[in-house]
Amino acid sequence: MINHHPTSDVLAQFVAGNLPASVSVVVASHVELCSECNRAVQALTEQAAIDAFGESIKEQGLRDEPQAAGLEDFSGLDYFDFLNQFGDSDDYADLDDCIEAITAQERDDTNQLPQTVTEIAVGGERIPLPTALKSIALKEWQGMGKLSRSRLALDDGDLRMSLLHIDKGGSVPCHTHKGFEITLLLQGSFTDEMGVYRKGDFVWLDGQHTHQPVTEEGCVCLTVSSDAIHFTQGMSQLLNPIGRFIY
Amino acid sequence: MQTLVSAGALDKGSADIKTQSETQVPTELSSWLVRVADARDKLAFTHLFQFFAPKIKRFGIKQLGNEAQAHELVQETMSNVWRKAHLYDGDKGAATTWVYTVMRNAAFDMLRRLKAKAEMNLGDDIWPLEQAQAQSEEDSLHFADHLMEKQMMAYVDSLPEAQRAVVKGVYYQELSQEQLAQQFGVPIGTIKSRLRLALAKLKQQMGDQQHD
Repeated sequence: MINHHPTSDVLAQFVAGNLPASVSVVVASHVELCSECNRAVQALTEQAAIDAFGESIKEQGLRDEPQAAGLEDFSGLDYFDFLNQFGDSDDYADLDDCIEAITAQERDDTNQLPQTVTEIAVGGERIPLPTALKSIALKEWQGMGKLSRSRLALDDGDLRMSLLHIDKGGSVPCHTHKGFEITLLLQGSFTDEMGVYRKGDFVWLDGQHTHQPVTEEGCVCLTVSSDAIHFTQGMSQLLNPIGRFIY
Repeated sequence: MQTLVSAGALDKGSADIKTQSETQVPTELSSWLVRVADARDKLAFTHLFQFFAPKIKRFGIKQLGNEAQAHELVQETMSNVWRKAHLYDGDKGAATTWVYTVMRNAAFDMLRRLKAKAEMNLGDDIWPLEQAQAQSEEDSLHFADHLMEKQMMAYVDSLPEAQRAVVKGVYYQELSQEQLAQQFGVPIGTIKSRLRLALAKLKQQMGDQQHD
């Protein structure tokens, strides 16, 4: 049972294509695991399509309208405006050339081929990776104590995306986030001051939150962070210079 | 690939005004897409281009901020529509929803190239085109059943009339054998033997199928 989801505003921005790449990837990975958000995204996409292209006649209950007239009535004017923007009549030829150039292309069958690893093995267990990661390479795993992480090779400004594995009984010392941190549970569970998180849960924390995640059974997370985490208590503050290691 | 060049100055005002004509969509969109996928039909593609290009351009101006980029988005999107139309499934959603997905993905990758100088295309990984239509896990399971059911129906339809009626009565209308006996005015033993014969025949047909 998934209890933590992206907000509806995040889902709407996701559908609009307005989120940074790494945030889009982690939202997509949640949506792949969560049928509830999958349905929400589907509905938002249908609405976005209506906003961009208009509503189909069928949905408006005008099914009986003569269809032959449809093209003229519904797109003729719009198309004419489009042509007008090309200026003189030479551009009509450009448009035909454009369609010719496009239709000279072969059909594309490469879409479904994964290009990198599709699953990882952690502690003898095989964990499938989200589809959205299929073109993004994993860098070498680096470990410290019960923590290990592999950075994902994705250029996205200041944002960093990683796979994080915390072994059984491990924890991350109490810390706060200077920027924001998104965690998606891919496997296992962890607990912090705010609750229990299980596979599929999507947790977005920012500088207001301080937490200390602990995992009994171990967990694998996909994380996106905008900045290094900041340890807040005792000796662990010595870790601040290496906070960057984790996220 | 050739780039569209606009000669006229863009009338920015028109970008935000929606006319009556844009709130309605021709019902043929879906069949045009299917014809592009199945028959590489250039005329169907031209219709799609005529409908979508101006609207994609408007979206492009909004997302990418200038006309040249918007024209590139038109080309990129319509190219992908041509090359990937076979990923569209008309049973699962509107053609506009699928084309929106293609367009948004292309705009997302273009923006990344512009801003982050990132060459890797991620749009189709984040929003898979083959899943653009309603496809939660339950739906895809249902779809598999649906295919199987379609095949089963074909077998059932090939049965002799009397046997077919009994099979449909029992398995589709969920009537009891007693009810069917009453309905057809035959002894229940006749219903039982018709059902037995029909199931034996179906089993045989499905067995044949497996040897293919």
